Amino acid sequence: MELLINPVVLYLACALGAVAVWIAAPRARISPQIIGFGVGALALGLVLAALGITTPSGIPNLYFYVFAIIALGASLRVITHPRPVYAALYFILTILASCGLYLILSATFMAFALVIIYAGAILITYLFVIMLATQAPTEDDVDALSAYDTTAREPAVAAFVGFLLVAVLGAMLFKGTASLQPLPLPTASADAPLAILPGRVADALRDADLIDDDEVVATDEDGSAMVDADLRQAIIETTEGDRRTVAWPDELSATNVEGVALSLLFRHPGTIEIAGVILLMAMLGATVLSRRQVEIDEDQKRQQAAALARGNTPAGGGS
Amino acid sequence: MNDLSSGMLTLAQSGFPEPMLQATLAHYLVVSLAMFAIGLIGFLTRRNLIVMFLCTELMFQAAGLALIAFGRYHMNYDGQTFVIFVLTIAAAEAALALALVVLLFRKKDSLDADAWSALKG
Repeated sequence: MELLINPVVLYLACALGAVAVWIAAPRARISPQIIGFGVGALALGLVLAALGITTPSGIPNLYFYVFAIIALGASLRVITHPRPVYAALYFILTILASCGLYLILSATFMAFALVIIYAGAILITYLFVIMLATQAPTEDDVDALSAYDTTAREPAVAAFVGFLLVAVLGAMLFKGTASLQPLPLPTASADAPLAILPGRVADALRDADLIDDDEVVATDEDGSAMVDADLRQAIIETTEGDRRTVAWPDELSATNVEGVALSLLFRHPGTIEIAGVILLMAMLGATVLSRRQVEIDEDQKRQQAAALARGNTPAGGGS
Repeated sequence: MNDLSSGMLTLAQSGFPEPMLQATLAHYLVVSLAMFAIGLIGFLTRRNLIVMFLCTELMFQAAGLALIAFGRYHMNYDGQTFVIFVLTIAAAEAALALALVVLLFRKKDSLDADAWSALKG
């Protein structure tokens, strides 16, 4: 079987990566992070070069390399930076670089949703909690770091275990992807969402001056629109009831948002409900957990009750 | 490099109906795998509770990238749909986990995970 990458190269790169993470891990003394990043870049470059050499036709977009290096470099910085706030900011950089990768994979909607939800909402919550849950700095040493931030726990073992996982998974993965076949879909399948969007098809046909303003897409007996996404044509009905078949203009194709919406709302509607329930439960749980209990002893309770009774009885009796 | 040779440097990999090559899929899987491993190592080595949770988000992110790459390879949108649910879970997890972290911080006045080593039993 033809392998996408030589296993020896993969194992070598994994060993280099483990060494890189081990070098870059935070230590109490000054840690040689630059060297760690250099070794890590070497490991990544080795894998990418090996992939490019075995199949020269399958070289991705140039921007892939830029975003991949930024994403992995920033994520290495997330786990090595001694200050939690900087770690969170580097995580935002990782998110933005992943958004670039999503855009290259033509997942436009998810790329921007990721910026809004992750970088905009989740990470800001993290930053707030980091600020809330940090000891106030003492007067004489404002820049002091906690000992638990500056020293890593078992960096050598963790790096070994982590990259052992990568080596095993990678070897299996590349054996599997070599025999993987893309689904034999016709190219028009990407336009399948348009079959249930007759208004959009009619608008596009009107813009191309293929139909008049008062003509609409015909419907059959079931009430479903007569749009054929495979043949890229629609049956158009005039106000007099005459029908004719019109082919789509070439530029009409389903956008990414339409495709995601079709998949989300038509094929996984129950999952959305479950996601909503999960979010609601998380909100309830967070509210209950972060509620601060007011501590009052029995005497204070009795005094407060008596004060309330004294204050309320005359007013209640007077009414 | 095909884009460069034709003089067009576009951001998108290619038009969506055009298939993506196995080798190109493997490139994205390498990035996803490495990011997951970095998140895992971070979770094991860091001792700050908040940074540990940040590392789980890193692992979510790696899974999301793999889902999107596979979805693009098979030319359907289910991969992207699942990333929406990954985002939902990540948001719910962040809300709950951070509430718990604040609670733990109030008890011990420290974010050190080793402060709770009495739980080892």
